[in-house]
Amino acid sequence: MTIEAVSEVEVQLTINGRNHRHRVPSRLLLSDYIRDTVGLTGTHLGCEHGYCGACTVIVDGDAVRSCLMLAVQADGAEVRTVEDLAPTGPDSLSPMQQAFHDNHALQCGFCTAGFLMTLESVDPDRWREPERMRELLSGNLCRCTGYQNIVAAVSEAWSEYDGNGGSNDG
Amino acid sequence: MSLDIDSHIRHSSRHIGRSVPRREDRGPLTGKGRYVADIRLPGMLEVVFVRSVEAHARIVSIDTAEAEALDGVVAVYTGADLAEVETFPDYIPYIGPVTQRPLAEGRVRYVGAAYAAVVAVDRYIAEDAATLIAAGTVYEPLPTVADLDQALAPDAPKLFDDWDSNCSFDVAPHKPEVDEAFEHADHTFTETYVSQRQTGLPMETRGVVAEVAADGTLTVWSSTQSPHMVRTTVALMLGMPEPQVRVIHPTVGGGFGTKTHTYPEDIVVPWIARRLGTPARWIEDRMENLVASVHAREQRHTVEVAYDDDGTVRGVRCASTLDMGSGEIFMPGTAPVFVTNACITGGYDFPNMEARTTGVVTNKTPAGAYRGFGIPEGALVMERIIDRVARLTGTDRVALRRRMLLRPEQMPYVMHGGGRLDSGSHAESFERALELTAPALQRARSRYADDPDVRVGVGYCNYVEPTSPSYHLTTGHWGGGDAATVRVDPDGSVRVAAGVSELGQGNVTAAAQLAADMLGVSPDDVTVVLGDTERAPYGLGSWGSRGAMMLTGSVLLATERLVDKARKIAAHMLEAAEADVVLTDGAFHVAGSSQPSVGWAEVGTAAWVRTVDLPEGMEAGLETSGFYHPDNLEHQLDDTGKINAAASWSNGTHIGVVSVRVSTGELRIEDYIIVHDCGTVINPALVEGQVHGGVAQGIAGAMYEHFQYDPDTANPRFASFMDYLVPTCAEVPHMEVDHFESPAPEQPLGVKGCGEGGTVGPPAVVAGAVSDALSEWDVDLTECPVTPVAVRAAIRAAAGSGAGAGS
Repeated sequence: MTIEAVSEVEVQLTINGRNHRHRVPSRLLLSDYIRDTVGLTGTHLGCEHGYCGACTVIVDGDAVRSCLMLAVQADGAEVRTVEDLAPTGPDSLSPMQQAFHDNHALQCGFCTAGFLMTLESVDPDRWREPERMRELLSGNLCRCTGYQNIVAAVSEAWSEYDGNGGSNDG
Repeated sequence: MSLDIDSHIRHSSRHIGRSVPRREDRGPLTGKGRYVADIRLPGMLEVVFVRSVEAHARIVSIDTAEAEALDGVVAVYTGADLAEVETFPDYIPYIGPVTQRPLAEGRVRYVGAAYAAVVAVDRYIAEDAATLIAAGTVYEPLPTVADLDQALAPDAPKLFDDWDSNCSFDVAPHKPEVDEAFEHADHTFTETYVSQRQTGLPMETRGVVAEVAADGTLTVWSSTQSPHMVRTTVALMLGMPEPQVRVIHPTVGGGFGTKTHTYPEDIVVPWIARRLGTPARWIEDRMENLVASVHAREQRHTVEVAYDDDGTVRGVRCASTLDMGSGEIFMPGTAPVFVTNACITGGYDFPNMEARTTGVVTNKTPAGAYRGFGIPEGALVMERIIDRVARLTGTDRVALRRRMLLRPEQMPYVMHGGGRLDSGSHAESFERALELTAPALQRARSRYADDPDVRVGVGYCNYVEPTSPSYHLTTGHWGGGDAATVRVDPDGSVRVAAGVSELGQGNVTAAAQLAADMLGVSPDDVTVVLGDTERAPYGLGSWGSRGAMMLTGSVLLATERLVDKARKIAAHMLEAAEADVVLTDGAFHVAGSSQPSVGWAEVGTAAWVRTVDLPEGMEAGLETSGFYHPDNLEHQLDDTGKINAAASWSNGTHIGVVSVRVSTGELRIEDYIIVHDCGTVINPALVEGQVHGGVAQGIAGAMYEHFQYDPDTANPRFASFMDYLVPTCAEVPHMEVDHFESPAPEQPLGVKGCGEGGTVGPPAVVAGAVSDALSEWDVDLTECPVTPVAVRAAIRAAAGSGAGAGS
């Protein structure tokens, strides 16, 4: 058995509006690039099989499992991570982050970034109905909350989003 | 029972009992949490473990040359390199002795056992090297045992050559009163109930980072539930003085029991950091997590039940057997099956239980702790027995439970194994849950009224949840108490440090609430330090639903001592008699006087800085500690073999309304109702969160998660989320939660604990509800998980025996 030498490639992309340019191994995962090369550790790795959703980031507007994408595939892309969600300011949170906090929608918090990025990537109007909302959220695993307070938080954030005071499945 | 809680509260707008928002949230919400995998140290090397692919084999040779020659590989270690490291302690005398080395040497007994470690400059290279070592390992396979039957067969291959068999322990008390119950009963039946293998599966896997300072002190960051226990064990095994080892748990992404153990990686990574003089890190991947972190729940219960025509259950003999996996884990995973038997009678008045407890080793991942710790397995058995007796005798299931449930006037009640229920709302919880169930059942029935393929059923579980248990029975070494230290600094700010840890429960917030009320300050003025052996006093961490009780007990002891001293200082400053000085909302003043008061900043400044202001002869400083050990927590069996091994006992009722589609076996929890009682509630939102999460994990065990092994090779069939089915938001139903508060009479604030109760009910509830739904076929489920396949099989079997018209 032999291990072949790994080629290197140059990657240039923006993460949270900031330009990054690195020479990286061609096999480097986007998740490891974000966490290790760039140092944004808010994106978490729960399985590295593309299943749990903890590593979800937004690439050119779409939610992506960063453990299933190579860094080189994100060359030229605009990437957003959880670090980009809160408005600038020491105590400020986005409405969805605030709703998670207010509804006790996180416990250990390891999965939270993935949920927030999934939610950030979608149009609330398409997923507002309770069954649809649960379907949307079913792409991210949480082991602590039993999902109930996550559903409550999303319902609250989205009801404030349109001002209709929508239903609260929590 | 009335507790003098108010005398400890010195804040007019009390925080205990309110859903104070969590201060733990901000880090994870904004990407600023610092989990172990987020730690970067200069020069840090990556460790990858090489794990056995054989379930049982001798390792003939390990060729590491190719791996070592790889660019970027720094070192490769096998068991022989760690000869100087002590073997894991073996503290429990009555179980089969297991010699667990930090890396397996010569023989492996389960797929996933680590036998080599690679150190490289990055993880990709380390994994390349690990692949080469795996390919260069020559095994001599040995015959395997994949389940209890194989392990207990007379000619079974043995895991440990010096044992007589694969049986690690077998404790069989004899109760003459149970014999008598059987002699006088109208009928008996026998049955076998089975709970399946699962694992706690925190979203964050385990991980260890270690660094050695120039003076030789070792710092270990471990994603553990019990940093002090890891420190004690690391120091012991590496032969270091304990003060030179610091263990920190950074932000921890859940544990659920799996991180209570001290694992080989907790020893090997620090050893590597010392050996190389370079920081080293290992982060478990999910495949490793599924085979190298402990499993749990795999138990078989063979019962004999004696009952009368009127539905009275007279006596039960239960032989509970735990599949321990290979048993190579510290602490040993033997305790849950004892807990199963201790708690098996749940919220019922049922003394005539004779319980035999057996542990058996197999060629599988070692069994250990998982939230619930044996309680759900027993609840499944008891509730299925009650339903069976009800069906056999034509007794109403609800009425029979009402007859058996414990009543308030029976408190304190001593259970068959010695557990002492000090208080509780066993019967009331059931009644309340029934009230909440009635409309839910109505809804479900009308929803499916026009669908002849669907049946609706109800399942019940009345459980007890032992909290803050003895760790002496589990570890053979540690006890069951915890310490806290409280300090007021010159500016009047408060610092609380405690041995309890935080891995999602909200213990930082709870500690701040407690200290705020006890010192009359705002929670915002309280800094909380948990999970760092250098900054927090000794404690056993968070597991066993102990966080709330240990925090209240230890923080209260420390704050009362602190207030005593502060009152003396304040009295001196106010030129008043100490007895006249009271503390309210952070100000010491003379009761009933309009005289100016002194606040914590003035007292703190006098204590630390302006010591000239102290009363004559008083020692300076304003820092006190308290070590809390619950009075009634026992660590040794009495002469009759009984023990109250938990400091308190929470209780609750779960009821589920479940629909079953007969043609496909598809099942759906329509409504899930929880009424629970964990004594005084510190923070209702946190308690409710614990209940939600526990129930979701319970449902996972009731319907989905089942870690399976190939019977011929003892190879795991699963190694990812693709096949180990963790429920998503689409599977976990909405839960309705209601509370009672029966304060623990023997705990200073009446707090009991609530971490595990949620997991207990669902297996019994789902099996009960599906059996109820399919009663026309006489289906009586005895195993979990209850899957569509299992439902269809049960219907077919019943139809085949002529019990009904299965399709």
